[in-house]
Amino acid sequence: MKRLLEAVRNSGAGLVLLATYVVFSVAAPSFFGPQNLLEILHVVSPMIVVAAGMAIVVMSGKLDISVGSTAYVASAIFAVIVRDGLLPFPAAVAVSIFVGLMLGLVNAIIVVGLKINSLIATLGTMIAFRGLGLSITDGGLIILPDAVKDLGNLAVGPIYLDTALALAILLVVQFVHRSTSFGRQITAIGNNEDVARRIGIPVDRRTVATLLLSGAFAATGGVIYTLQVGVNTAKIGDGMEFTAVAAVVVGGVSLFGGRGNILTSVILGSMIFQIVRSGLQQVGANPYSYRLVEGVVIFIAMYADALKVGTGSAGTRLFKKS
Amino acid sequence: MTAAALPAPLSVARRSWLRTAVVLLLVAAVLSVLWVFAPNFFKLNNLINILVQASILAVMATGMAVVMIGGGIDLSLPFSAALCAVLGAMYMRATGDLAIGALIMFVAATFIGLLNGVAVGYLGMIPFVVTLAMMSITAGAAVWLTNSISISHIPAGFVGFFRERPAGLPVPVLIALAVSVLAAFLMSRSVFARQLYAIGLNARAAKVARISTRRVLAMSYVAAGASAGVAAIMLTGRLASASANLASPSMVLDVVSACVIGGISVYGGAGRVWGAALGALFITLLGNALNAAEVSLYASQMIRGAIIIAFVAFDRFWGRGG
Amino acid sequence: MMAAPFLRMRDISKAFPGVVALDRAQLAARSGAVMALVGANGAGKSTLMNILGGIVSRDEGEVFVAERPVALRTPIESLQAGMGFVQQELNSLPTMSVAENIFIDAFPRRLAAIDTGVCNKRSRELLRRLGSDLDPRAVVGDLSVGDRQLVEIARALRRDPRLLIFDEPTASLSPRERKRLFDVMRSLKAQGVAIVYISHFIDEIFEIADDVTVLRNGRTVFSGEVASLSKVELVRHMLGSLDYEARLQRRRPAEPGVLLRVASLKRSGIIDDVSFTLKAGEVVGLWGLLGAGRTELMRALVGLDPIDAGAIHWSENGATVRIGPAELGRRAGFVTEDRRGEGLFLAMSVGENIVMPNLRAISRLGLVRIGEQRRSAARMIERLAIKTSSQDQRVATLSGGNQQKAVFARWLAGAPKLLLLDEPTRGLDVNAKTEILRLVNELAGAGTAVLLVSSELEELTRVCDRYLVIVRGRILAELPESATAEQLISALSLTDPREIAA
Repeated sequence: MKRLLEAVRNSGAGLVLLATYVVFSVAAPSFFGPQNLLEILHVVSPMIVVAAGMAIVVMSGKLDISVGSTAYVASAIFAVIVRDGLLPFPAAVAVSIFVGLMLGLVNAIIVVGLKINSLIATLGTMIAFRGLGLSITDGGLIILPDAVKDLGNLAVGPIYLDTALALAILLVVQFVHRSTSFGRQITAIGNNEDVARRIGIPVDRRTVATLLLSGAFAATGGVIYTLQVGVNTAKIGDGMEFTAVAAVVVGGVSLFGGRGNILTSVILGSMIFQIVRSGLQQVGANPYSYRLVEGVVIFIAMYADALKVGTGSAGTRLFKKS
Repeated sequence: MTAAALPAPLSVARRSWLRTAVVLLLVAAVLSVLWVFAPNFFKLNNLINILVQASILAVMATGMAVVMIGGGIDLSLPFSAALCAVLGAMYMRATGDLAIGALIMFVAATFIGLLNGVAVGYLGMIPFVVTLAMMSITAGAAVWLTNSISISHIPAGFVGFFRERPAGLPVPVLIALAVSVLAAFLMSRSVFARQLYAIGLNARAAKVARISTRRVLAMSYVAAGASAGVAAIMLTGRLASASANLASPSMVLDVVSACVIGGISVYGGAGRVWGAALGALFITLLGNALNAAEVSLYASQMIRGAIIIAFVAFDRFWGRGG
Repeated sequence: MMAAPFLRMRDISKAFPGVVALDRAQLAARSGAVMALVGANGAGKSTLMNILGGIVSRDEGEVFVAERPVALRTPIESLQAGMGFVQQELNSLPTMSVAENIFIDAFPRRLAAIDTGVCNKRSRELLRRLGSDLDPRAVVGDLSVGDRQLVEIARALRRDPRLLIFDEPTASLSPRERKRLFDVMRSLKAQGVAIVYISHFIDEIFEIADDVTVLRNGRTVFSGEVASLSKVELVRHMLGSLDYEARLQRRRPAEPGVLLRVASLKRSGIIDDVSFTLKAGEVVGLWGLLGAGRTELMRALVGLDPIDAGAIHWSENGATVRIGPAELGRRAGFVTEDRRGEGLFLAMSVGENIVMPNLRAISRLGLVRIGEQRRSAARMIERLAIKTSSQDQRVATLSGGNQQKAVFARWLAGAPKLLLLDEPTRGLDVNAKTEILRLVNELAGAGTAVLLVSSELEELTRVCDRYLVIVRGRILAELPESATAEQLISALSLTDPREIAA
């Protein structure tokens, strides 16, 4: 807890989050209080899961911007299976997540096998996966049966089930990152891939694993979101990749890899957007202003971060030359 | 020492010709398949329509290419174009003044480019993040200004102008041609371009060669912003309206894809801007061709994704490597 | 006869395309002794060590470890044979803890998780073996360079190597850290480890090494006990018989005025209170071994690296102004040591490279005047006799000497009053070297002041009017044109008076 507070203090995002929370609490008394906070946690739970996967990839110094499309494919498959009753519910979830794993494998083959830069590779698969998803749903709506729909907003006491699940996943990711060989080695790869290779870390195997995980988590996030809204639409996952990157980076994980606390970053980063959104809602702001404010928040948080780290000229380049 | 002994790679110039040859060959292949299966495709109107579609993409791809040559990326381009289209359109609707409206579009987009440029060049922030934030800000601002409602009632004179066909070609096509030619000329002849290529190739060597890397990098984003301004004018004219929905993340990807296919290296310092325009034409042509060949929209998206990856893989194995 | 050496490399040869890196080189290292491996730049030390590390395969020759032949095909085989490496560039992971850095490739585990307790405990033990009480939980990025290096030594020690190779470990250490590193090496030696120590610092070799092997042009030219030779003899082995060629003659300006005065230039840990002057038309050799701060001084002078303190005064037409390094960078030409990495834009043409810093001068309204560019480049190509099929040829395809001329051409177009040349003849053949030196001489004759760095003494003595001896970032002596090679070599083993005091 103490460490968490410290991380909040140390990150520009923490301050921005705190500031926005205070401002909105003052502006709209209904905003303040645990009830609204729980509601916010409920809404962001799919994003927490997706961002957790993204954080693993970013920690290793790479990017996976196909997560939104992966989430969509998983959501589509899940919705089709459930609508048609092809498989029992747990199996439907398992199949969807497995599909995410396979899409992650496709990314891994391109990034590690063909040695193509991860941004470009996942840019390509982002388009391709979306096409795959659309061909499953034919671009239409798939409404989930009512029995399944209810699962998405199920709560035990005051805590939503998906919130608990998302936080559990995030805690596991945090544990893996901080306390396992795998987690430490991907951090090492993010520190410096060449050094990691020289030291004898199996860089390629680890990279494959990060992309697999990111695919699986994206799929999980897609399923949770589908359950929440009770319907699969062609819009699911659209722009999710950018929000996930923004959340992770705003929270404090460096895009250059190897730096940052996944737990606090993902929570801070995911929450900050929803708090802004929810706050604007409560004060009755024009709903169309949300996105603008979001962008400003990303910019301020990143600017604060740049001032703190002093990235200097290292930052002006998209990719290191190999 | 060992590095010095390695054989010199193929010359950049030769490679970009090889690249062009491959793109042209692919275009020829696509066209000949169409000749057999969808002869209607070759109706003059359809061809001109494709050119018109490609023209706006080509203008933005040209701007993106400039930034990528310096080793950066600008994700905000289409969103900046949409925002500025909205701004200018609002002015036009209010005053009926076409020229000033168009000027507002151009100046505003250039200014947004300047903001990106200062953040990347002078503040040393990461281009991906800066322009991601700018993407949210501009998208948000456009939605906010319009409440997501399209601004129609663009003065007929403005719309009419873009429907003209001097010399048999629609105005947007001519504008795109002019932009491409001008950009190609400036990017081969100007001091700025020479320095930008140098930075993209080797930023350390550029500093030694007395190049003011910060200013040149910043200027590259200004140039990209200007291209978004031109695109904004063209979008408004062609659609007879302006709205926040003009831009989407997938359009960003189209722009980047056009550059990658056109031989602009994501590592900076290589490629010619007219290649990006060619890439834009290729993407549009491919989309239309797949459509004409009655390939489903979804499958064609998968093909597009695969083609981007194939091109980067091509670069890796026959070109500059990644 | 001593006990058989732990490691013996016999008749090792290795050729890269166009370069013979090793030519029947020999090397032997005893357990419980420090063997210094020395040689000038390009002598083949790195190649020899890469062969030992299983990174490069040898063309010919045999390697014996404890009398048994080993293949060393991969880094793993090298580790299994008992080798450990401490690289010159730090292989540390700055965002991670000391213990994590040590165990990153093989953590002790309990169930799925890393056993942090064991990890920290063993790290502490390893560090204690090195005489350090670093906290295993400390973040490596916060440590000094010396401590980071200890962490890497601890990483190498984790596998209990029987031979440890230190590749120029002291290059960026403070005197105190260096002393501690030597203590570590002594204690490892006492524990029976064989140590190969690569260094350019003569005084260090005499301080720490028992044996020394000298490589020159890929051959072993000396191998024996350190005690059997003097510092000067060692330097002479490194540099070889100096093949003196006649000094290049030049007309001196009658009354050369001071052009540049540098006062108390400092950069923490790198440049230590450097002051000197340069006169117009004068060639001054900055004489020192690799790692002495030669390149760093030049980079700081032209504003490519920051400085902490110091003043630069520039005199022209009777007026003296104080200028900053960035301004000096605009007035001086700088030929960097790393021609391909920092000098040229390899993918560009010869002509484009030549005009790069002077684009403004040949442009109008921000557009490069191609005719002017071609004329300017052609003038330079002709003046420097650059052998190129045309100025459109890609610079990467030129020979080394012609590439270097292209770098010179770039600065000469602006007719600078001052040239800083960092190893301008590096990697060039004899004729190309002479051509470059002639050019330097000619420029000085025309009134340009030149500060010249070279590792090759016989080059410096052909053109220099004066020598500044630089050791560990300090200028310890100034020698006149008449200085003999002997005197210059001896000057390198000068020790900073303050260090003796310390």
